[in-house]
This record gives sequence, structure tokens and C-alpha cells, in this order.
Amino acid sequence: MRQIRTFGLAVAAAALATAPALADDIVVGFATAASGFMEAYDKPAQDAAMIRIQEINEAGGLLGRQIRVVTADTKSDRAEGARAGLTVVDAGADLVVVSCDYDFGSPAALVAESAGKVSIFLCAESIKAGIQGVGPHSFSASVLAAVQGATMAEWAYHKRGARTFYRLLDTWTEYNKGICDGFDWMLPRLEGATLIGSDTFVNDDVSIAAQITRIKALPQAPDAIMLCTMMPGAVSAIKQLRDAGITAPILNGSGVDGSYWLSAVPDLSNFFVPVQGSIYGDDPNPEVTAFNAKYREMTGSDPSTQYVYPGYVMIDVWARAVERAGTTEAAAVVAELEKMRDEPTLFGPRTFTSELHHQNRARYLIVETDQGQPRVIDEWTISEPIPVSALLR
Amino acid sequence: MPGLLQILLDALSLGSLYALGALGIALIFGVMRLVNFAHGDVIAFCIFALLWPSVDVVPIVFAGQLPWFLLIPFVLAVGAGLSVLAELAVFRRFRHANPATMMIASFALGFVIRYFLLMLFSSRPKSVQILPGLSQPVELLGARIPLLQVVTILVTIAVLLALVAVLRRTRFGLEMRAAAENFTMARMLGVRANRVIMGAFAMSGALAGAIALILGSQTGTADIMMGSSIMLMAFIATVIGGLGSLFGAVLAGFLLGGVSVAMQFALPLEARPFRDAFVYGAVILVLLWRPQGLLSGRAAKERV
Amino acid sequence: MLRRGSVVRRTIATPIILSALILALAIFTVWSGSRPFNQTVIDVLLRVMLVVGLYIFIGNSGVLSFGHIGFTCLGAYAAAWLTMPPMMKGMMLPGLPGWLIATKLPYWVAAPIAATFAAVFAWLFGLVLMRLSGIAASIATFAMLAMINKIYSNWSSVTGATSSVVGIPIVRDLWPYVIAAILCIVIAWAHAISRAGLKLRAARDEPVAAQASGIDIPRERLVAFVVSGWVTGLAGALFAHSLGVVTPDTFYLAMTFMALSMLVVGGMSSLSGAVLGVLVLSLLIQLLRGLERGVDMGGVALKIPNGLQEIALGVIMIAILMFRPSGMMGNRELVWPRARRRRAADAAPRSSTNTQPTGVHR
Repeated sequence: MRQIRTFGLAVAAAALATAPALADDIVVGFATAASGFMEAYDKPAQDAAMIRIQEINEAGGLLGRQIRVVTADTKSDRAEGARAGLTVVDAGADLVVVSCDYDFGSPAALVAESAGKVSIFLCAESIKAGIQGVGPHSFSASVLAAVQGATMAEWAYHKRGARTFYRLLDTWTEYNKGICDGFDWMLPRLEGATLIGSDTFVNDDVSIAAQITRIKALPQAPDAIMLCTMMPGAVSAIKQLRDAGITAPILNGSGVDGSYWLSAVPDLSNFFVPVQGSIYGDDPNPEVTAFNAKYREMTGSDPSTQYVYPGYVMIDVWARAVERAGTTEAAAVVAELEKMRDEPTLFGPRTFTSELHHQNRARYLIVETDQGQPRVIDEWTISEPIPVSALLR
Repeated sequence: MPGLLQILLDALSLGSLYALGALGIALIFGVMRLVNFAHGDVIAFCIFALLWPSVDVVPIVFAGQLPWFLLIPFVLAVGAGLSVLAELAVFRRFRHANPATMMIASFALGFVIRYFLLMLFSSRPKSVQILPGLSQPVELLGARIPLLQVVTILVTIAVLLALVAVLRRTRFGLEMRAAAENFTMARMLGVRANRVIMGAFAMSGALAGAIALILGSQTGTADIMMGSSIMLMAFIATVIGGLGSLFGAVLAGFLLGGVSVAMQFALPLEARPFRDAFVYGAVILVLLWRPQGLLSGRAAKERV
Repeated sequence: MLRRGSVVRRTIATPIILSALILALAIFTVWSGSRPFNQTVIDVLLRVMLVVGLYIFIGNSGVLSFGHIGFTCLGAYAAAWLTMPPMMKGMMLPGLPGWLIATKLPYWVAAPIAATFAAVFAWLFGLVLMRLSGIAASIATFAMLAMINKIYSNWSSVTGATSSVVGIPIVRDLWPYVIAAILCIVIAWAHAISRAGLKLRAARDEPVAAQASGIDIPRERLVAFVVSGWVTGLAGALFAHSLGVVTPDTFYLAMTFMALSMLVVGGMSSLSGAVLGVLVLSLLIQLLRGLERGVDMGGVALKIPNGLQEIALGVIMIAILMFRPSGMMGNRELVWPRARRRRAADAAPRSSTNTQPTGVHR
């Protein structure tokens, strides 16, 4: 606990440092939520980003210059987000890091875009978090939601022999719809796979009893249920499904990763989540486990979900692009980023093109939860990238 | 087509939650013309009372470990206590304010409770295991249905019967009914206003606790926004039912639950996301049909 | 009945003083030269428009509306449809009619059109809803807000559903917002002293007497509903341009309650109260946020924990309402100091027309 606080203070001190910093410092501005609803989602990824920044600074900096961090709190509010964006841009940020969610991050990202700065979303998974929604200088550190749905469908088809699918969509956010869009795109490409039913609910629905009744009325249970939802409603939906006696495998997006909620659904089994890296200490790449230890040392607790990782990846790829470009100037850095093809990172390869600043194909680890114990059982990369035209609806 | 029995149970269990919520709002409205927007946040608070404050993602279960016969009274008492506290600290000073002012004050209070929880627990949902024995299906007339649904409906019926007994058989109930009918007149006839109002708050808070227990065991999570959607529906049910009529509020709660479930079944897939829009449309139609509510409690015209 | 000219003369001070306040704020902002502060003030001005819009209906009719943020939503999306680049519209919102996809207007042309679009819907909804009164009307307006929100959150080919609509030209210049805020204040004032406004307030204070003297209450309410729908719609349009992104959930409960709180804290039945409510609460929010960021007070760093700002705001709002149940301004307006004295002298005969009792008739 104390460690968290010291770490938090270090960040705050960096923000408040009006003392004359070296003029040739490279400035990374975080226009993220330090309070309010989004804080729980922004803070972990931001901490991971800080770890990479610290590593770079300890190794002598970037282009021989130290990275300095400035922060501005978006208060989990859109209007305040624009203000936070202006604050960090005016503080001289070379890179503007914005909130995890597209809706909350975009006001600040648009500020950065109009100031001609590179902006990166901590973990947004909508195609709009990039060229299509903000502009040519904007990137996202995570993977498109659609890839998660497509990955789960193809994996379950090949590895679990699933042929009949049921699709349950929470229409609450674009992220949820993105997962199901990827699933919908993949399904017709799987020979012999059929959708035997489909239904919708909303995250804050008090009960999904009616939706469950519909599943149970099917003449035969589906081989897999594609559940496109996110926290906080996800736990409720999963619990209600299992409590009603539905035991079919449940496929999910990464949004439900983490073991912190598993005690709500005792002995959950037959439950599958795609992740970029494992927080459970069994990642095939030992460096990920080493990173987890480092994260624990810095913040006092283990990563709670895989959404910690994109923050690290983000600073990592940006720093490489800056090294290659030899400058922090936006156009040159963007050009270097767009040259990356399957650039290896701690959490899988990354590709950026002049058409897409996001991952439309990625290596995912498949985590199965069995008897309440999550562990990595497989990894899967979809057979073909999802075309941009299918992503833009 | 799924079995009718199952649909009926779905509708009844959702309706039960709305009805319990509507009762909590109608009780307070009856005695002091306050539309209590903090009610949803009281529900959330009751659940979080089971946890130790911590922003870590893994919850530290505190009172949640109590056995059920202590856990249930504890949560009800937390709800009642918080509501009474709200009345003492805030609403008592608003006795003569107009309804809009009171409404905004209650909203501000809810805002304070919500951000207090946010500060202590962060916005990530926390898993809690409340009454795990209820999370299993039971066999009933050939259908496998969640035990919790049955319990929810039974609890609601029990609460309603108990409430009727209190209102009909006790002096307190008599005073309360008198106050709901005509507050000024009741006061002149010797009804102790503060006592009645405090009692209404305590009962309303305990109802919030009951909802929290049901929601908690149904969803397995504590989330700071968990009371808000019930509160909105309950608020609507209170008005449709006829302000001041407790029975009307309950009836309208069940009606809303029923309509919502029926639409989920009847609408084609493309229209299903619009379910709530249809429900709210129906609300407007009912209001146009009976502006005073289905069972209006009084003849007096309301002016808000 | 007073003659029009005299009504104008007696009340013109209010919009002038309020506009001067807005102008002073704007000049201070420009003088400060801080872009983040500029953005904050834009946000404050948008709230002034919203709350003044709410006042036009709620203040004059006495009917609490939870629905007006729905018109803000309509205005914001209409502005987006009119100003986005056609190519993006064709891609993201293919369900729009062809002529609308091809249209691209400058924001200052689009904003009034968007506001009018919102006003048309206010008229349509109002035809039905204005027959209701009291809490039934409040709930019906809430149901309207919820319907608009649910439809906009799901009609993906036209509104993009929950997906943000992007590509809206961003206006970071302060002056358009200043002009719009002043325009809204003037509209509110003009409506309040118009025949319709006077009739509506009479009906608010003495419904039975007003009805007996032949005032068609639903009709006067409808007028106010449409005017306030236009103003809140305009606020929505400019909101879209202030951020460059719109999503349906921006225009829902949080914004509704924030605007209503500002109105009630300021004084529900006073135009000055509406404007001051926004200015005072916004100032308070900024002070508390400043404290959250940390302030250096003579070498001692003063900092409140993150998240305390909202709690403090709620507590202060309750406190204000406790001590001033009818809001900061009650039902008074800002007038010239001399006029106020004169008015106080002959307040007695007029008090029945312009006061609303602070206590409630139970």
C-alpha cells in the first residue's frame, strides 16, 4: 500500500515540477484519469508505461535525453479531457498519452492531433482510436476488439470442435459490439459452423433471466456461447448463466480477464478469454513473468488484468520509432511507426501501416478457467487479418 | 418458444425488484413529498458495507463472511441506518422546502454517497459472495429454474404482507397512512410527524438493503452504479402507480417488470436493443391515459 | 396590465448585467492567455446556455423537466450531421439521407439549424406532454429523455449508436460561445416578458385563477417548451463543436442532474439565478479541482485527495440549499441598485405576481 502511494507521489511530483527542468528533456504527457470512473482502468496501464519510461531513463534516456513526464487529470469527464489535453500539450509534450477508452480519450487526442503531436490511447480497442477517428498522428497500443471475437471463434472451431454458436451481445458499448463484429466476420469463414441463436442485453440490466430462458429453450445446447460484454455487467451475466444451469463453453473478449472477480462465480469452468500476456505467472515468455514481478515491486500489487500491458508496449514502440527517426518530431516518428511489421514486443508482435494504426491481427494467449483456476492453455493467431473495410461499419 | 412458466417467473422476479424499489420511494414520498434520488446509492452502499474499504481489485470481505442469519439483518440495518442518518442530517432541514429543492438535495446526497464509495473502493466491480446457497437451479413443475428467482418472488410477497400488517394493525401504521393521506391534517390530529417520517426512512432503507441482498446474490458483484437502474424504474413505477399509493407502486413495479420481459421475448432481434425505448414509450402512454397514476392516492393536485 | 415599454424598461437591467458578467469572464479569459482555462470557460458558457434553456421552461412554468438534455442530444447530433466531412458521414453513418451526407455547412450556419431541429422535436413531444402537469409531466419528460437516449444509442446507421461520432469541426475560439450564451440570455428574457411568458408565470403562481381568466396553460407551456428546446438544442450543437466528438451517453442522466442542480442552487424561477448558479458552482468546481491538483500556499503544498472534489461539491450544494431553499437568488433578478430600492418601496402591491412562496403547500 505504501509503495503505491510513494509511486503515486512520484508521479504527482513529476506533474507539479515547475522547477526548471532541462530544456532538452523529452516530454511525455499523460492526459488520463487520476480520479473518477476511468481511474481504475487508466492507472494500471499508466503505471506500466511509467515502468518502461523508467527503464529507458535508467539506460541513458532516449536520443541521449531523459524522458520527463507531465500529467493532467481528465476527471473521467470528456470536457475535462480536452482541457487535460491542452494542459499537457502546452507543457511541451512530445507524446500525448490519452485515456484507455476511446470515448474518454478522444477529446484529448483531438487536441494533440490539431497541435501536430503523436497521441496514443492507453488501451482503446476501437478502430476510431487512430487514423479513422482522430487523425494520422494517433495510435492505439492495444488490439482491436474485433480480433478478440474472431480469435475466439476460430480457436473454438479448430481446437474445441465447436460447430454451433450462440451469440449474446451487450449493446452497452462499442467495445462489446466490436467483439461480436469480429465473431460475425469470422463465422462464415468456418466451414460448417452455424449460429443457432442470437440475443442482446444491456450491461446495467437488472436481470438477464429472459435472455437465459431463450437459450435454455433451444432444442440443443450450443457448442459455445460468444459473450460480448465487459465489466461490471459481465460478472453478473456469467453468474446468471451458470446459476441457471447453462454449462456450455463461454467465449469472451479480453475485458473479462483477471481473477479478481472469479470468487463471484464459484468453481467457474469452461470459460475462455483471449489475452495479450498472462498475469497468472504462466506466460510462455518468461520475460512477461519478470515484468509482472517488476510491476509488483513498483506498485505493490500484481497486474490485475492484461490491460496493464498495452501501456508498456506503447512507450516501447514509440521509443523505438523515436530512436530510428532520430527525432521526436511527429511526422518522422509516425513514418517510423508505420514501417513496423510484426515488430516483436514483450506482448506479441505489432504492426502499424499508413492505413491502420491498430492491430487487426494479433497473437493471443488463450486462458481457460477451470474450477475457478485460470491458466494459459494455448495461443492463437487468426488465419487472416480482418480487413479495414469490415472494421468500418 | 420457451415455457410460459419460465417467462412468468422471469417477469415476476424482475417485477419484484422494481416493486421493492418503488415501495422504498413511495414510502418516503407519502410522508414528505420527497422523491428520494439517493435511494439507488443507498442500495449500493448496503452491498459495499460487506467489504473492507480498499481500492485493490481483490476485495477484502469483511461483514460478508457472516452466516446468513446475521448477514441479512446486518444489511437491512445498514440500509435503515443510512437512511435514518440521511433524514437526520439532511432531509430534516428541508421540511418546508419545495419538492424540487428536496429532490436536488437528495440527488446531491446520492452524489456524495456514490463518490464516497468510488474513493474508498474504486470503480472496478468487486466480487462478493452473498448467500451462495441460492445460486443453484431447482426443479419446479418440470422446469429447471434458478432458486434465487423463486426466493426473490417469495421475499417480495413476504415483505408486502408484512407491510400490510404493519400499516393495518399497528398504531404506527395508522399514523403513517394518515400522514400519507393528508399530512397537515394528520399532524393536527396528533400524529408525531418526525417519528412517522423517521419510520418511513428506516423502512425504505431496509427495503434498499433487501434489494441489495437480492441483487448481490444474483450478480455476485458490488458496483457503485448498481442501484441506479432499479432506482429509475422504481421512480417511474411510483408515479405510474399513483403517488402516495403504496399498493399502486407495487402494482406498477410488477407491470414494468412484466412489460420489459414480455418485450424481450416478443420483439424481433433487430428491434430488441430498442426494448427500453418501447418501455418508456409505454410509460408516456400510461401517463397520458391516467395522469394521476393507476391508483391515485389522493385527489389533491400535485405541483412540482 | 402594464404596458410593454414599461415592462422592457423595468426588466432590461437583468440581461444587461448578466451579459456584462459573461463578457467580463470572457475578457479575463482572453487576458489570461491560458488555453486550458479557455477550454474550461467554454464549458462554463455551454452550461450557462443549458441552464438558461432549462430556466425558460422550468422557471416560468414551475414544471420540473428531466427531458431537456434530450434536446441537447438532438442538437448535438444534428450539428454533427450538418458539419462533418461527407466522406466520413458516408462511411460511418450510411443510413443518413443522401442530401444530408452531401451537406457540409460552416458551424455557425449549422448550429441554428440544429437548434431548430431540436425545437421541432420539442414541439412534437410538447403537443403530447404539455397536457400533463406536476410530477406526471416530470416523469413523462424523463421517459422522453430515456427514449431519445435509447434510440440514439442503438440506431447505428444514423447516429453511429454507442460509437462516438467523430470528424465534427472543433471550435476552440471563445467568442462564438460568448455570443451564443448572451443570445440565450436575451431569448430567455424576451420570452419571460412576452405575453406568453407572463401568462405562463401567472399560471404557475395561480393556476386556478389563470385558467379562470382564460389562459390556455398547455399552450403557454408548449411555447416555453419549444423556446427552451431551441436553446438547449443550440447548447448541444456547440457542445459538439467544443469537443469534436459526441456520444449518446454524454447527454443523459449526469448532464441532466448537473444542469438541474445548477438551476435549483441558483434559484429555479430566476434568470439571474440560472446564470449565477452555473457561474458559482463552476467556480467552486474549479477551485476544488485546483486543490486536488495541489496548490502552493507560501511554501506549504495544499492538496486534497483525488475524488474529494465531487464529495465536497455535493456537501456544499446541500448546504446552500439548506440555508437558501429557493436557491441563491430565490425569485429575484439582478437589477440596478437604485431600481431595486425603488422596487422594494412598492413591492407590496406587486408581490403576488412575482413571488413563489418558499414553503410548499402540502
